[in-house]
Amino acid sequence: MRNTARRAVQVVCVLTTASLLAACGAGKERPSEDGTAVGVTDTSIKVGAHFPLTGPAAPGYSEIPSGHQAFYEYVNDNGGVHGRDIEMVVKDDAYNPTNTSAVTNDMILQDEIFAMVGGLGTPTHRAVVQRLNDDGIPDLFVSSGSLQWGDDPAGSPMTFGWQPDYEIEGKVIGQYVKENMPDAKVGLFLQDDDFGEDGEKGARQFLDAQIVDVQKYTPGGSTDFSPQMSSFKSKGVDLVIGFNTPSYTALSQIAAQGVGFKSKWFYSNVGSDPALVGGLLASMTKGKIPAEQGVKLMDGMMTTEYIPGVDAPDDEWVKLWQKVWDEYSKKGSEKLTNYRIYGMSQAYTFVQALQANGKDLTRESIVETIEKEGASFEGPGLAPFRFSEDSHLGISGMSVVEIKNGASEPLTPVLVTDIGDAAIEEDDSAASDVPPSSGIPE
Amino acid sequence: MQQFLDTTLGGLVLGAVYAAFALALCLIWRSTRIVNFAQAAMAMVTTYIALSLINADVPYWVAFMAAIAAGFGLGAVIERVIIRPVEGKAELNAVILTLGLFMVLHGLTAITFGVQHRGFPAPVGTSAISVGDTSIGITPFGILTIVVVALVMAGLVVLFRFTDLGLRMRAAAFNGEVSRLLGVRVGRMLTLGWALAAAVGAVAGMLIAGGDLVNPAFMDPFVIYGFIAAVLGGLDSPLGSVIGGLILGLSLSYVTGYVGEHLAPLVALGILMVVLLVRPSGLFAAAAARRV
Repeated sequence: MRNTARRAVQVVCVLTTASLLAACGAGKERPSEDGTAVGVTDTSIKVGAHFPLTGPAAPGYSEIPSGHQAFYEYVNDNGGVHGRDIEMVVKDDAYNPTNTSAVTNDMILQDEIFAMVGGLGTPTHRAVVQRLNDDGIPDLFVSSGSLQWGDDPAGSPMTFGWQPDYEIEGKVIGQYVKENMPDAKVGLFLQDDDFGEDGEKGARQFLDAQIVDVQKYTPGGSTDFSPQMSSFKSKGVDLVIGFNTPSYTALSQIAAQGVGFKSKWFYSNVGSDPALVGGLLASMTKGKIPAEQGVKLMDGMMTTEYIPGVDAPDDEWVKLWQKVWDEYSKKGSEKLTNYRIYGMSQAYTFVQALQANGKDLTRESIVETIEKEGASFEGPGLAPFRFSEDSHLGISGMSVVEIKNGASEPLTPVLVTDIGDAAIEEDDSAASDVPPSSGIPE
Repeated sequence: MQQFLDTTLGGLVLGAVYAAFALALCLIWRSTRIVNFAQAAMAMVTTYIALSLINADVPYWVAFMAAIAAGFGLGAVIERVIIRPVEGKAELNAVILTLGLFMVLHGLTAITFGVQHRGFPAPVGTSAISVGDTSIGITPFGILTIVVVALVMAGLVVLFRFTDLGLRMRAAAFNGEVSRLLGVRVGRMLTLGWALAAAVGAVAGMLIAGGDLVNPAFMDPFVIYGFIAAVLGGLDSPLGSVIGGLILGLSLSYVTGYVGEHLAPLVALGILMVVLLVRPSGLFAAAAARRV
């Protein structure tokens, strides 16, 4: 009994000390009195982000930070932003929310970042949103299309989305299918979290009557999808709409082949990169199909597109990304990919926000700048941002495309909309934006 | 009906794979009386060795044999160098050691081969077989998997039940001191047990990887599921391991296909709990319950 009591006292002591230490640490990163922000000096800005550099989500996604870094180096070598160089800290969370909390803590307390820019993943980033907002740290341009980054600016005032959210993607896909394939029997293949949920919500606005089966998978769980594909097959599904990540596109194709399930496939933008998925599929053929031709295995699949990618080398934006990548990639041998373009496009928006903010940079001022001016930022996005005081959701639209020979052929003009009942309208205006000749936003 | 057939066939193949893995666990338990949590990681290493050979244009079956040989060698070396020093101490020491080994092998493979997913070819087709106009939910590779697992199981039954070597291995594991007095070279038997188990694990790895994507974590679900399958059947019995594997594979397949994927792990653990409550020594264990 006395032993237990003594143990209890020890535990309480340790906990108290730990929380005191944590409290001291937490105080450190608040903006100081004279208006300068943590992580910002006269000559530098330090930002950070968590990405899966290892583990099952790493293929593709681990390339995004290299795009960020290449673009920041390009900007730094051209004088920086208001005389400040941008430095980016990248930490690996292996797509595991527990790790995300730990590495975010490191970035806040040890690296003392000014803002998080581009932190990746729905389940992962969800673990740190509260922390970032409580500490007043700008949480810009989350690399995920979950609604929660932008539909509640009052609850998460520091957080901003960037890519189109999954609900509007579901709406655009749903409307396209309803208009062009009204007889299709639709099966939904969903990641079992906000990603799948938001996408389903959007798609059901148009396809409620056409959806005959819904199958889900847990990221990190079993990778054998034969039971799911058997279910589609037995219910007569002839169009699968997948809200899943890229390796799961390959795995679902493998499983469908294994159970003899034939269908048309419509993958959300997230899971559809032809180079990555095609490469994975080709590598299973024992060299019979070289990786470059693996993209042919993706022929006929449909997806959406909201920024120009590697398959459009003549696009002005892609020319800029290619130029930056050729000059600043750390390993010269690696190619420009759609994931690196994604990173550079995000980095471009961040630099744009810093430029618009002016020389006096604080954590509050950057948020205010994006709310006031974000909707008018011209960038690589095919549709404008929705940023305002009432919405922190990102790009407002996309076009539906079909994959042919690894390139995407547009099936629709750019379709712009918003969450909820907002109508879907054709709007190509932002698609004609071109980068300034310097390649750096003004 | 079609779905039921497809799901059943899929479950059988999945079950065969769990069974292969459970066989390796069973083998090591029978020959050394410890549970090897590094089994999955060891099989992952040998699978990567085979993948490197295949990518260097070595024929599939040569690579398959190389994986088995590599497993045999790896198992023997690990037993001699890492496990031997804790043999004869508390059983927990060896078990914790295998957990550590699991992490080390994971890390080393990631450093050597990278963490990205890679496709692993299969020696035979991985598209569903067609009967008439309808395709049924099993692939030539699935059939191959079932056949190979059946052969391995038969081999182990023969080894333990009908050969002198098998008897000596069991004796060495069961009571080292007495066996030594009776002239069994206990150390050598333990090494052989580990080597054989790792070779069977290597076969399981090849069957799991074929026609699928591999990364250093691809075997991780099998640490738990293989263990459940082995315990279901009673760690002691090769036949039990196979039946345990099939029960588990079928249950998971039905649950995923008819109820929802998110319930699959729960069901697996539920089955394990029920079996342990009703028959603590497993469905097919011959001996009375023994303190583990």
